[in-house]
Amino acid sequence: MAKIDLSNISHSYNPNDPNPVYALNPFSMTWENGNRYAILGPSGCGKTTMLNIVSGLVRPSAGRILFDDKDVTDLKTEDRNIAQVFQFPVIYNTMTVYENLAFPLKCRDFSKSKTDERVNSVAETLNLKSFLNSPARKLTADQKQLISLGRGLVREDVAAVLMDEPLTVIDPDLKFRLRRNLKEINEQYKTTLVYVTHDQNEAMTFADNIIVMSEGEVVQTGSPKELFERPNTTFVGYFIGSPAMNLFESEISSNDSVKINNTLIKTHTNLSNLKTKNIKLGIRSEFIKIAQNQNENLIDVNVQKVEDLGNYKLITAKMGDFTIKSKVTRETEIPNQNVKLHIPAEKCCVYEDNKLI
Amino acid sequence: MNFKHKYFFLFPGLFVLIGILIFPIIFVVRLSLSGWNSYNPGLDYIGLENYIRLFTDDPRFWESFFRLSFLSVTTVILQYVIGFALAHMVWKDIKFKRFFRVLFLVPMMTTPVIMTVIWRTFFHESLGPVNDMLSIFGVAPKWLTDPVIAKFTVIIVEVWQWTPFMFLLLLAGLLSLPKEPFLAAAIDGASPVRKFIYVTFPLMAPISIGAIIIRLIEASKIMDTVYVLTSGGPGTSTETSSFYIFIKGLREFQMGYAASMSFTYLIIMIISLTIIAKVLTKLLLKE
Repeated sequence: MAKIDLSNISHSYNPNDPNPVYALNPFSMTWENGNRYAILGPSGCGKTTMLNIVSGLVRPSAGRILFDDKDVTDLKTEDRNIAQVFQFPVIYNTMTVYENLAFPLKCRDFSKSKTDERVNSVAETLNLKSFLNSPARKLTADQKQLISLGRGLVREDVAAVLMDEPLTVIDPDLKFRLRRNLKEINEQYKTTLVYVTHDQNEAMTFADNIIVMSEGEVVQTGSPKELFERPNTTFVGYFIGSPAMNLFESEISSNDSVKINNTLIKTHTNLSNLKTKNIKLGIRSEFIKIAQNQNENLIDVNVQKVEDLGNYKLITAKMGDFTIKSKVTRETEIPNQNVKLHIPAEKCCVYEDNKLI
Repeated sequence: MNFKHKYFFLFPGLFVLIGILIFPIIFVVRLSLSGWNSYNPGLDYIGLENYIRLFTDDPRFWESFFRLSFLSVTTVILQYVIGFALAHMVWKDIKFKRFFRVLFLVPMMTTPVIMTVIWRTFFHESLGPVNDMLSIFGVAPKWLTDPVIAKFTVIIVEVWQWTPFMFLLLLAGLLSLPKEPFLAAAIDGASPVRKFIYVTFPLMAPISIGAIIIRLIEASKIMDTVYVLTSGGPGTSTETSSFYIFIKGLREFQMGYAASMSFTYLIIMIISLTIIAKVLTKLLLKE
């Protein structure tokens, strides 16, 4: 268990080129001991590079990495005392489940009784107790993935458990169970867990801190709620949430209101000293409802499509050239083609040059 | 799919297959039931007489067969161990990696018969450079004329010639292994020896089985090395099945008898290689 500091880390795969291309732009970050972090972003955004820098498979072009204030930038993976779970389960085929779990301890010359105690405790947590004596290769993919994880957990002193899309090969309902397992493990062992994924649902349900990345840049770090309600950039708004955040090109009309398609929308943002005209209003479709008896922030729209998606209805409507999506409960009646939608002022995010004001 | 012309397109392949494989096998079976020899050439019918002679009255065939088993198993094991070691060596990032990779393949690129002639010259007991150098230590092994040492001379030449093939297959195998298991082992703190025992070797098992079987089949056909190096001698001490069949068939022209030996040999090889493959799979893959 350790606190992990990434200080001014950046990485380029061609650092000697006159114009190096950065896979990871300079950033600093601290991962607190015992927390769950998810690194989220589309493919090729640098999340695996970041993980590999922490695990020591990649040496950053610049910056230092510290475990509990000890510089480990130049240490090899084996000396960093971390555990890593890969996308596909890695087990020792010739060994039993017990031998697999005991292997890291055996390599470190732990006593028989200590090994026994640790392996049994980890097997208990991971529900592998009944398989301890069966050959590891006979197990299912998710059980094998649990073994990979277990090998990380048997060492009490491991600094962090890093996971690179570990649930890719696992069935959806098992995924849910494993994520719960991971949370329990985190609570029980107080291990720092770092989880790389491109699946926002996975990140949202697993982590208490999400690091959103895009094109080598850390665009926002925060709790699932913060990312959902106050996305820092239009990219985060677009990437997180399903459907993506509604974004409208708009003009400033007063200190706290914008104009979209000649409709005035009040916000809770101070818009007095803006420099550019590139203004966008963002609002989650979850917050847009059919107007009941409100008298401001109403927009007239023309309903194009209503999709019943099981637990909610998704309305796609048009206002002039803008498309608006609204998520409403299944019971909501949509009276006719032309309806009024209400946009709550407190949920409006205003973006200047795609950055939240 | 109903495709009328499929036989037309299959014909060239089938024709070649019949011509070079199916017909010869059937012909050998028929030939083995005849007494075809240099006095009496022709496909007469003498029943199982050749087989009765082979099984009751020809210890030389069985001796040559067991000698062949010893030679091929020993050479293949040595090739596997040396080939694996060399492949493992150039698999890692070492200096002059490319140079070594090509160097280790040179023996395979040379013509076996010519290389064997060169080896014979090397091992020549009074004129060869090997004994010339060994004379410094006062020894002069009879490389080609001692019944026991001659077997090992054959093994040395075979191993030298064919280890590169094993090396090539195993290197290709090593290069195709996923890297995660090695990273995981490094993270678990495994020493290089443990890494080899628990990661490299198990991952290489399927490739190893393939390579060993291919080499066993090839090694059982050993003929040119023996022919050039010792001609089966001294006496019959390096004579292998194929060489003995060659002597009976193409030197003594006992065609019918040689055919019965060939066919018996084929059946034994099919059965024993199947068993070996099964045993290897069980041993290495633990299935």
